[in-house]
Amino acid sequence: MRWWPRMHMEAVWALVRAALLTAMQYRASFIAEFLVGALSAAGVAAPLFLVYARVPEIQGWTLDQALLVTGFFLLYNAFVSGIVEPNLGSIVEGVRTGALDYLLLRPVDAQLVLSFSRVAPTAIWELLAGIVVVVGALMRLGAPTVADTALAAGLLMAGLASTYGLWLLVVCTSFWFVRVDNLRFLLSAVTDAGRWPVSVYGRGLRIALTTVVPVALVSSYPAMALLHRLDASLVLGAFATAGGMLVVSRGVLRLALSRYASASS
Amino acid sequence: MSAGAPEERVWLGSGPGARVTHLIRAWPAVLRVAFAGLVAYRAEMVIWVLSATLPLVMLSLWNAASTGGPVGGYDQLAFTRYFAVNLVVRQLTGSWIVWELNWAIRKGELSPKLLRPMNPLVYNFAETLSALPFRAGVLLPLVGALAWWRPEVLFLPSPTVFFAFVASVLASFILAWTVQALFGMLAFWFEQSMGFWSAWFAIWSLLAGYFVPLDLFPAWAVAGTRLLPFYSTLGAPIDVLLGKVDPASTLATQWGWVVALSALAALTWRTGIRRYGAVGA
Repeated sequence: MRWWPRMHMEAVWALVRAALLTAMQYRASFIAEFLVGALSAAGVAAPLFLVYARVPEIQGWTLDQALLVTGFFLLYNAFVSGIVEPNLGSIVEGVRTGALDYLLLRPVDAQLVLSFSRVAPTAIWELLAGIVVVVGALMRLGAPTVADTALAAGLLMAGLASTYGLWLLVVCTSFWFVRVDNLRFLLSAVTDAGRWPVSVYGRGLRIALTTVVPVALVSSYPAMALLHRLDASLVLGAFATAGGMLVVSRGVLRLALSRYASASS
Repeated sequence: MSAGAPEERVWLGSGPGARVTHLIRAWPAVLRVAFAGLVAYRAEMVIWVLSATLPLVMLSLWNAASTGGPVGGYDQLAFTRYFAVNLVVRQLTGSWIVWELNWAIRKGELSPKLLRPMNPLVYNFAETLSALPFRAGVLLPLVGALAWWRPEVLFLPSPTVFFAFVASVLASFILAWTVQALFGMLAFWFEQSMGFWSAWFAIWSLLAGYFVPLDLFPAWAVAGTRLLPFYSTLGAPIDVLLGKVDPASTLATQWGWVVALSALAALTWRTGIRRYGAVGA
């Protein structure tokens, strides 16, 4: 018997590889999506350029610093459209059609199969755009220290984990209310607020964006880490939110699965 | 339905005159059916409407930028007004035909719809119209919240401006729907046509005034961007209501685009439907 986490890593890798192979069949549309990715990235960044052409800084953020946030927001978008949405979206579909049964029969942890069976490879363009924006902004701001970089990477992971948890929670409601596919639109509309530094929002929204819809954790916090603006309490709060989201969403998923009565039986 | 009802025979007759009479008589029924369909999925409707709150996200950026004083002639109140009207116009001119057409053409679901005695495009247009009461209803809490946050945002336009605004919104409504229909029809020729729509949307968000009022663009770009179809679908009615542009010439540009793109859509539909038949779906 192999070590438990290692077996899980192998399962995840096998799932992702199979998903990539399936998606790469559509080569032409994959290349065409490059244009779309570049345009959307430009669309996210353009308002910043227009604002900063007129004011030097907003709530303590200069253009380059705000672009860092935008870059991390693009990375988050790539994660959502590349992995979270295709997989968790298919849960909703699976509950409605009964196709979920086949996934649940597999001898691996259900959450892994449900979360990593599909990849939308077009998200790679958004991923690249995000990297370009972050690196470009850093080149103008000056390189951060190793410790700050590590902290930023950790916070990015924590932010991705929290938003993944939130998406899972929303999708789990489909076990009770079958028609919630559009909740995904709502969620991506709400998380759109993550594209600006969180300090441009009023106090109430700011709290909501770090706890209820923790999209600020994934965009503003890593940028603040690179700029050396975070204190320990914020960092702890971010990791606590991530842990809490993961535990709660896993609990809700298990509860949902235990009540799942299949569309076919 | 019994096939022999004589009156139906009369108005289902052929010829352009009979077709128009038929359309006029069927219209109220179509609106009623479409409305009933929407009521069945009302929770979904609320989500659709709420998911178009991006103007408020944009407002928060500009609001923060103008705390120290006006930016390019816009102070905080002007930005709030701009994005409030933006939210309203975007809601009232919303449609979904690009997704529906794209899906129906690829999956062959268009075939049964073609058998109906009414063009599927006209039917969808009726559906889109009948969604308006819902969209208006969900606007109330959003605009109400804005008014509560900043009461001075409310203002009463003069009757002339108001009528110009209504005519402008109507043009935007038709234009936005027509553009979506055009992109949806691309599915006749391309298997994956949604990419084109995403690309259009990305350019549109910037040039329509969705993210940024167009007069904040560099001076040399302002006049040119106002002539493009993007502006006619969203920015034009906002600027007409807020008195930023001359209503007469703006309306002329908008309705010019309505005529041109509707003609293009009709032509595309005819060519495309022939191709669809040729595939044998």
